[in-house]
Amino acid sequence: MRRRVVRFILNGEEVEVYVPPAFTLLEVLRDVLHLTGTKDGCSDGDCGACTVLLDGKAVHSCLTIMAQVEGREVTTVEGLAGDGEPDVVQKAYVETGAIQCGYCIPGFIMATKALLTANPSPSEDDILEALRGNLCRCTGYVKIVEAVKKAVEEAGR
Amino acid sequence: MQQFRWVGRPIPRLDALDKAVGRTKYPSDYYMDNMLWGKVLRSKYPHAKILSIDVSKALKHPGVVAVFTHKDIPNNRFGLFHKDRPVLCDDKVRYIGDPVALVAAETPEAAEDAANLIDVRYEPLPVVDDVFKAVEGDGAKVHERGNVARQTRITFGDVEEAFDNAEVIVENTYRTGAQIHAYLETEAGLSYIDEKGRITIVSCGQSPYRDKKEICETLALPEEKVRVIIPPVGGAFGGKDDISVQIFLALITLKTGRPAKMFLSREESTISSTKRHMAYITMKTAADKNGKLLANQTEIILDTGAYEGLGPAVLDVAIENCNGPYKIPNIDIKAKLVYTNNYFASAFRGFGAPQVMFAIESQVDAIAEKLGLDPIEIRLRNVVRRGDYGVFRNKIEGSVGIADALEKARMHELWLRRDDIRKTRHRPWIRQGVGVAAAVKGYTIGALPDKGVVGIELTTDGRFIIKLSSTEIGQGVVAAIAQIAADMLSCHLKNIEIKAADTSQTPDTSVTSASRQLYLAGNALRKASEEMIKKLITAFSIATGEPAYNASVSDGYVVSTSTGRRLSYSEAARILEEKGIGREAFGEYEVPRTTPIPGTLEIPHLFYMYAAAIAHVEVNILTGVVKVKKLVLLPDAGRVINPQTFTGQVEGAAAQGIGYAVLEDAKIEQGILRTINLSTYLIPSIKDAPAMEVIPIETTEDTGPLGAKGVGEIGIIPVAPAVANAIKHATGVRVLEVPITPERLYRRLKEAGQNTPR
Amino acid sequence: MNRLHDIEVYSPKTLEEALEILRREGDRVKVIAGGTDLIIQMKDGIMPRKNLLNIYSIDELRYIRMGNDSIRIGALTSFTDIASSALIRNYARILADAANTIGSIQIMNKASIGGNLVNASPAADSIPPLYVLDAVLVLRSVEGVREVPIQSFYRGYKKLDIRSDELLTEVRVRRMAEDEDGIFLKHGLRLGDAISVVNAALLVKWDGDDRFKDVKIALGAVAPTVVRARSCEEALTGKELNDSTIWDAASKVVNDISPIDDVRGTAEYRREMSVNLLYIGLWEIINKRNQAGW
Repeated sequence: MRRRVVRFILNGEEVEVYVPPAFTLLEVLRDVLHLTGTKDGCSDGDCGACTVLLDGKAVHSCLTIMAQVEGREVTTVEGLAGDGEPDVVQKAYVETGAIQCGYCIPGFIMATKALLTANPSPSEDDILEALRGNLCRCTGYVKIVEAVKKAVEEAGR
Repeated sequence: MQQFRWVGRPIPRLDALDKAVGRTKYPSDYYMDNMLWGKVLRSKYPHAKILSIDVSKALKHPGVVAVFTHKDIPNNRFGLFHKDRPVLCDDKVRYIGDPVALVAAETPEAAEDAANLIDVRYEPLPVVDDVFKAVEGDGAKVHERGNVARQTRITFGDVEEAFDNAEVIVENTYRTGAQIHAYLETEAGLSYIDEKGRITIVSCGQSPYRDKKEICETLALPEEKVRVIIPPVGGAFGGKDDISVQIFLALITLKTGRPAKMFLSREESTISSTKRHMAYITMKTAADKNGKLLANQTEIILDTGAYEGLGPAVLDVAIENCNGPYKIPNIDIKAKLVYTNNYFASAFRGFGAPQVMFAIESQVDAIAEKLGLDPIEIRLRNVVRRGDYGVFRNKIEGSVGIADALEKARMHELWLRRDDIRKTRHRPWIRQGVGVAAAVKGYTIGALPDKGVVGIELTTDGRFIIKLSSTEIGQGVVAAIAQIAADMLSCHLKNIEIKAADTSQTPDTSVTSASRQLYLAGNALRKASEEMIKKLITAFSIATGEPAYNASVSDGYVVSTSTGRRLSYSEAARILEEKGIGREAFGEYEVPRTTPIPGTLEIPHLFYMYAAAIAHVEVNILTGVVKVKKLVLLPDAGRVINPQTFTGQVEGAAAQGIGYAVLEDAKIEQGILRTINLSTYLIPSIKDAPAMEVIPIETTEDTGPLGAKGVGEIGIIPVAPAVANAIKHATGVRVLEVPITPERLYRRLKEAGQNTPR
Repeated sequence: MNRLHDIEVYSPKTLEEALEILRREGDRVKVIAGGTDLIIQMKDGIMPRKNLLNIYSIDELRYIRMGNDSIRIGALTSFTDIASSALIRNYARILADAANTIGSIQIMNKASIGGNLVNASPAADSIPPLYVLDAVLVLRSVEGVREVPIQSFYRGYKKLDIRSDELLTEVRVRRMAEDEDGIFLKHGLRLGDAISVVNAALLVKWDGDDRFKDVKIALGAVAPTVVRARSCEEALTGKELNDSTIWDAASKVVNDISPIDDVRGTAEYRREMSVNLLYIGLWEIINKRNQAGW
């Protein structure tokens, strides 16, 4: 194993890990740091469950190697809730019943967060486009769209 | 309908917040110090004799702790109906997902590299990939007992005579594909030795007690040495009903004494996991000139692949529902379950019903067209109503909402605009249409014994812990049980805690399947609640000297109806503790069942759920792409416990129905699955899921907990035929095979000369 | 699907450093830009395992600029940036449209145009628009600069005109003129994110007579590389345009393509989809002009 030190900012805090530089961010978040809120649905970039924010943009942590993370800022689902208070997006997913098995949800929440940061008042089409790479097998997406709309509404208050 | 404080309200699920903030631990999220990683070597061939397995190189690989083969399995055959499945293959491999060896290593990469160093010598055998050739029996055999795992024939009345007197007869052969569950979390788990020395498996699953039994039997372990815990699972839909990683995990911990983790890659999961049975259904259906169905002759062949799994029961459900929700006086059903080397088929939401409903609902539509009848009208003329006798001459005792669902569908604006929609073309190559379908499926496990136990513990601070072995596979059963419990025990919802699915702590509540977990656990809970309330009132009598008949429970208190004196639940708990009466209550419920009709295992059911669906599609005749624009679902699932969870279940099932209807094409060529990941096996994305409207048809099921039935499966069943009927309406072309993929539909349109833009 | 535990990664901060490493390591390293395809290919063993030259942090390769008669796009520019660039939307709209379909938002945020070009998937959505926009690829090494027209860059299935010491640093595309119109078309098997069964870019130049003065058509996923549909182009240039002539012209595409069977579709289906997609594209372009009052 070829390991090296990689430094980056994780959920607002500087961290340092000693890992193979071509390990994916997902492998390190889960298997090294045991930060399991970020989910592994396919490791192929097909499902979106592993979505995190890299310098504020939604990316697949399964398709990002540690060398690419060096010096950058990573936000995971655990980093959204400030002071123990869930983010408005998280609350909206809870309240609209958009969560069933919930395994895809951290990815959806991160993709939604990125959308609302870039575009605080997205149209329905914008929502569908922003989430088209996140797969959910439980909900049929109806309540997920409702959740995003509710988050938009709540954030606008 | 009686009103309740909690039941019937759209309360956000108790488990949702933890899932939203990433706190919930799923089977794949468990880690332990000093943990090993397990990796399975799977078969290279769909069908081959194993000549030898040499693990010596793998054992020498750095980081490898152990390599296991069939020699390490004391009882190497298991299965729920027929013990035909090996834990690790010995004589043969029977599909490409078949496990041959198991590696335990310090890191996942060492485990994977070592698995590739295992030298297995095979002698490839002819691949049995065609059910029709398989049943002829002169070619290769998947199992020694022959390729027909089960066959039966059920006849009532005289179909031939009915055909002679019919106004119209429609005969078609339908094919349905192998659907893959594609739950977002693949099979995963962790095993370790707990503080009491038990081998403990925390893993995915749908039934902790049944998984435990299979672990104990195959590894020859006593019951008290094994503990199974099933945390919230990242989706199941029937695909985690069968054993996946559980025995492997137990084996590694048993032999090494160390914790072990497994988490299948998407590709490994897709290849090895169970699938929905491919079906071949020939149906000949007759009606008189008024559209009254006279006869239905059906031949069903289900491809169960390498092993039976739950196949025999799936075949029963296919048999039971192949006549739709209709009264048909003459039926003749021939059904076979056939072994092949294609895959391993077992349970999937709908359990045989989606396949046959596609056939019968296409048939009924075709008959309506021949007779010039409205598709909803013909269905209404034939549907079963409460108190009727069904096709098996069984009295339908439970609630029946299908006529009501169809009546509402008939008045729905989408149906009323049907002809206008058809005429609208915003591009010369776009065609639009609207189709309908009905659906039925029994819930509960039919004529098979099915009982469950639920426990309630009153805590010293006056809250309740509900203990049950239902598994939270995403469907929301845990939250729904909490809602029912709060009403039954008359307390605030926040004072209900659920402890689920740990064989060391929770009683056996049977398997979470067949849409009946709420029904079963809810009824057991009702009995336990009655028991608990008796205890609370006993405590009240002790405290006040008032007779029990004066007392009842209300919002956290036992209250005297004559004096108004009251005792809080926490005070009651103290008294029960002091007097040695105990703070626990149990309720056992056995699902009432029927006597199976000859030739079947478990049908008919006493209870049925129903649904109607309307689909609006847009077809691109130049590409064959079908866009389902809108889906209206009218499910009869009894009393709605939580409208949010209820519609969520229906919408989610319906989206799987869209996948089944037009997208999900598991390509299997000579026993090799070609679509092994989520970029080739396409499940619906947010852009593929249509707008949906769920209109519950609330009938009250008197035997259900607070009137509830089951809702888990019904949403998927009418979708494929409704979509197919809508495509027929749009293009004039009837497709007899699902999934109706673009290429398949394009070919049919071209054959029919319907691919010219205008 | 094994982890990349034994791989060295070089992460230069400047282009100069990167070129120096390439000169030194040559074939021993594989360049990783966004990495969205490379990581999977390497983990799955489709691509041999090699040490990586990670250029993801070389920000000087992220830009979209107006050149003299072209638009210059830095090789590391993400598809999100391409899709949302006003410059590209105004002057190379078909490229922006294609950029929007190359994958999910997550992929668009990370994948780069240079990575997509060098990855050389015959189904890559960004490439057909680059063919019809006469893209030129800029290749740099410590030795100097080469400019290669996109069509000669691809010599066969995943065979590229690039030396092991060279790095693709820039893509230049022609600006669409006032009298030009174009369309990007994609046929995938799902409405959401899906790999193309066939994709195509059409670029036409109108004459004053409701005919095409010039037509360029490129298709993907129907040959080992993206191909130009010369037979169709010829059949359309200067000809009267009506339903039957555009059908006839579209049908000629079968002479220009050589599709194969794969998990997403048969060769036969791909041939028919190529024809139909071109018909749809031509119909849309002509209809738009008619609607505009011509």
